[in-house]
Amino acid sequence: MTKKTTKAIALPRSRRYVGEAVLRAEDQELLRGRGGFLPDLAAPNAAEICIVRSTEPHAIVRAIRKERALANPGVIAILTANDLDLVEDVLPCVDMIPGTLDARHRVIARERVRYVGQAVALVVAANRYLAEDAAALVEIEYESLPPVTDHMAAKNPGAPLLYPELGTNIVYQVKQTDGDPDFAARDGDLVIRKRYEFHRQTAVPLETRGVTAKLIDNGERLHVESCTQLPQVLRAVLASAFGISLEKVRVTAPRLGGGFGCKEMVYPEEILVPAAARKLQRPVRWLEDRREHFASATHAREETVDAEAVVARDGAFIGLRLTGWSNIGAAFGFVGNTPITAMGAMVRGPYRVPNLDAVMSSVVTNKTPLNVLRGAGGPQAALVMERLLDEAARSLGMDRAEIRRRNLIQPNELPLDRGATGFANAHHIIYDEGDYPRCLEAGLNLAEYENCESDRKAAAARGRLRGLGISMYVEITAVGPYETARIALQPDGTILLFSSIMPVGQGSETTQRQLVAEELGIAMEQVAIRQGDTDEVPDAVGTFASRGAAAGGAAGRMVGRELVKKILSSFAEIPDCDPSKLRWEEGGVVILGPPREFIPLQEIPARLASLRGDLEPGTIEAKHRIEIPRPSYSYATHIAVIEIDPETGELKIPRYIVAHDCGKIVNPLLVEGQIVGGVVQGIGEVLREHVVYDTSGNLQTRALMDYVLPGASDAPADFKLWHMETPSSFNPFGIRGVGEGGSIGAHAAMANAVADALRDYDVAVDGSGPFTPTWIMEALSRPPRVSVSEKI
Amino acid sequence: MTPLDSTPQKAARDDPNESQTSLRVTVNGKQLRTLVPDRLLLSDFLREDLGLTALKVACGEGACGACTIVIDGEAARSCTLLAVQTEGAEILTLEGLNAPEGLDHVQRLFQQHHALQCGYCTPGWLMTVYSMIKRSIHPDSAEVSEYLSGHLCRCTGYRNIWAAVRRALGAANDQSVSGRE
Repeated sequence: MTKKTTKAIALPRSRRYVGEAVLRAEDQELLRGRGGFLPDLAAPNAAEICIVRSTEPHAIVRAIRKERALANPGVIAILTANDLDLVEDVLPCVDMIPGTLDARHRVIARERVRYVGQAVALVVAANRYLAEDAAALVEIEYESLPPVTDHMAAKNPGAPLLYPELGTNIVYQVKQTDGDPDFAARDGDLVIRKRYEFHRQTAVPLETRGVTAKLIDNGERLHVESCTQLPQVLRAVLASAFGISLEKVRVTAPRLGGGFGCKEMVYPEEILVPAAARKLQRPVRWLEDRREHFASATHAREETVDAEAVVARDGAFIGLRLTGWSNIGAAFGFVGNTPITAMGAMVRGPYRVPNLDAVMSSVVTNKTPLNVLRGAGGPQAALVMERLLDEAARSLGMDRAEIRRRNLIQPNELPLDRGATGFANAHHIIYDEGDYPRCLEAGLNLAEYENCESDRKAAAARGRLRGLGISMYVEITAVGPYETARIALQPDGTILLFSSIMPVGQGSETTQRQLVAEELGIAMEQVAIRQGDTDEVPDAVGTFASRGAAAGGAAGRMVGRELVKKILSSFAEIPDCDPSKLRWEEGGVVILGPPREFIPLQEIPARLASLRGDLEPGTIEAKHRIEIPRPSYSYATHIAVIEIDPETGELKIPRYIVAHDCGKIVNPLLVEGQIVGGVVQGIGEVLREHVVYDTSGNLQTRALMDYVLPGASDAPADFKLWHMETPSSFNPFGIRGVGEGGSIGAHAAMANAVADALRDYDVAVDGSGPFTPTWIMEALSRPPRVSVSEKI
Repeated sequence: MTPLDSTPQKAARDDPNESQTSLRVTVNGKQLRTLVPDRLLLSDFLREDLGLTALKVACGEGACGACTIVIDGEAARSCTLLAVQTEGAEILTLEGLNAPEGLDHVQRLFQQHHALQCGYCTPGWLMTVYSMIKRSIHPDSAEVSEYLSGHLCRCTGYRNIWAAVRRALGAANDQSVSGRE
């Protein structure tokens, strides 16, 4: 078929990348300090924006006076709600269900402010220093309204209303049932009733937020760059906010310096900054500082759950009855109802518990809006179940491992329908394959569980209170409904993957390239990747819910498969070429002979051009959209071993064990990084991190000196991991997500470990703490404990 | 030693009444003489005026270490210093440490141990490790913990950072290996 003879080269052994600990290519730039984060990018001629934020938790805005500020040097404009021509000024919330009241977040305060930190005005000036100077001179006249910060007070009739037109502060409610929701205790059953409290936390990515906006293409289009996990969603919101077509908006998102869910949001500033660019017809930039971040980036986790567990004498959990209220702050986050929904949906984890009766509500208060944070409600759900298991074991005189064994779902029961989730996308929860009992035993073995009582005695001899806490969870990962990817074989014979997944630190630049290289049988070095540009990938779901490798990676690998089809059909279209003799093997096209011929990928464009008589090699492109009807479910066992110094309340973690199954592992190095990072984040959340408001709604924790993150010396001294790898049949490549589980397991394992260490004291570990040294010292001052469970 | 042009700083251009001071400083081996606004933060001077964006500003109050640079041989926070406070000093940023291309020994150890995820805090860690090596800190000394406690990382959980730093200080590879079924 060709005059030019191509020597049939020896085929290279097919490259295998999936499952290999491939080092990250992106580290080359990051380690040289060239990460290209948003604040690092040049913003030529951009004016700087400082946002004037509400200092009142709840007030009517009577007047905004700009005159003094406008007279300050370098001030370009001061913009308030009335100056911005927004067609749509509400921000999206995607987890509203029928009956949900409209408490969507407004882009900018008009007549009323509902939390400290809410945007009220924008100061645009020549630089940030001058913008801050002027912002201090903007005078806002407030008429204070009574604030309500406690959701348990806000839900009651007579509480001050955030939205008087709604008539209530309870804005979302979901009922979740499975089995017989009217289950009741029989004679001899143990009934445990507890109220669990979860404190307010926040994600604190080390990179704060930022937005730049400018007009491009002769002023015809708007280009917004933002630190977002959702560039495609933001694009759609911008188009409706300004009443322009999608094509008129380009959103790009550079690498993120951490997201953890707080950038899974469309924020007011992402509309306000572009609105200023449009109004002033000039480039503008806003870089959030850490004080702003604490007040205006979403918070997380705060909720209260009343639980009633009915447990048979043999330790089998018969049913759970739960009523939960989430303190969602002043308005909906993008997925602000998801965490409380996850309580009813996921509380039973790997345990059978056949009957469920749950009602979960969201309550608005005068606090910063709440949204997801790593684990998205999973940490709270696992903590409730795991504390109940330990309480039941203690009341029944059973071993803590034994009561778990008795309740675990067996492998032959899977897949298992766990009933309606209540999630807005209305999926039933259907667990995929797994072996929960083996996962528990693997954790217990690594932890040398049989020695825990003798270790405790030995620690006591050293003057330390030692405790061990077990937790297990099942986590929804890789949620749909779909994901997309695009790929191009470029004229120079290299592959360019346009991925829908954002690089947030999880290593997606490497894992996506691993999957494509594996699919095509080529070297990873032949695959380049681009992410976060809506001009390149206009339609995508986004980066959250541990879906990067499983959903985005599956789309990436499938689009590689599509590309192979396109390449083969390009050859098949050549007149002399017999389609039945074409194959894709080992990174190139094979033309079965005789003579057999191999055309490696990098030579394909040139070869096709010469065969077709084209002047130049061309590009071959493919697109793919993968439907994801069912999420897949990861699971794990966490075991925390802690020691408390009763003299100081200091808590150390000599050992931490994770046995987990995230299905097919793409890159074990990165999987371990996700788990360890998630565990330490979870540990920080239950030991220390706490967003504190005073009773009148003023935010007290506004800096990293107040909100203390875990540091290098807080990491567990000895960290052991055990990987199980059961492929999920719900995912085309058997992958489940792994980005969030570390945090989910850590809350419950730590709470159980604290309770175990303090089991001789009358202290209730009924929630997330935080278990600070002060909390511990207070607990140690209590008298010996009395039983809190009742028996019928 | 290439003296750079003396250009008025951005803030001063925008506000002629901004109080300014003459500054003479050496940055990554280059001597500079310039006028800076009195209130200009060192981190802003380096990032915005000199384009040295490896250092990051993550907390603005010296709590996280992401803005760490080396001033006269000592690791220091650039977000809580004014540019004018560095008169006569020698400043080293990650850009000044980088090899012409690729990764140096310490950077390679960070890559091999997966001691970075989002990479935002990483330049700060590297500057501290650089000053630890200069001071010949022993990998088993208690000082290691003191140095590392000056930095926050939200992604890694520190385990791999410990391993990479200890290796950089001369310890044998002590990274534990995980089990698999």
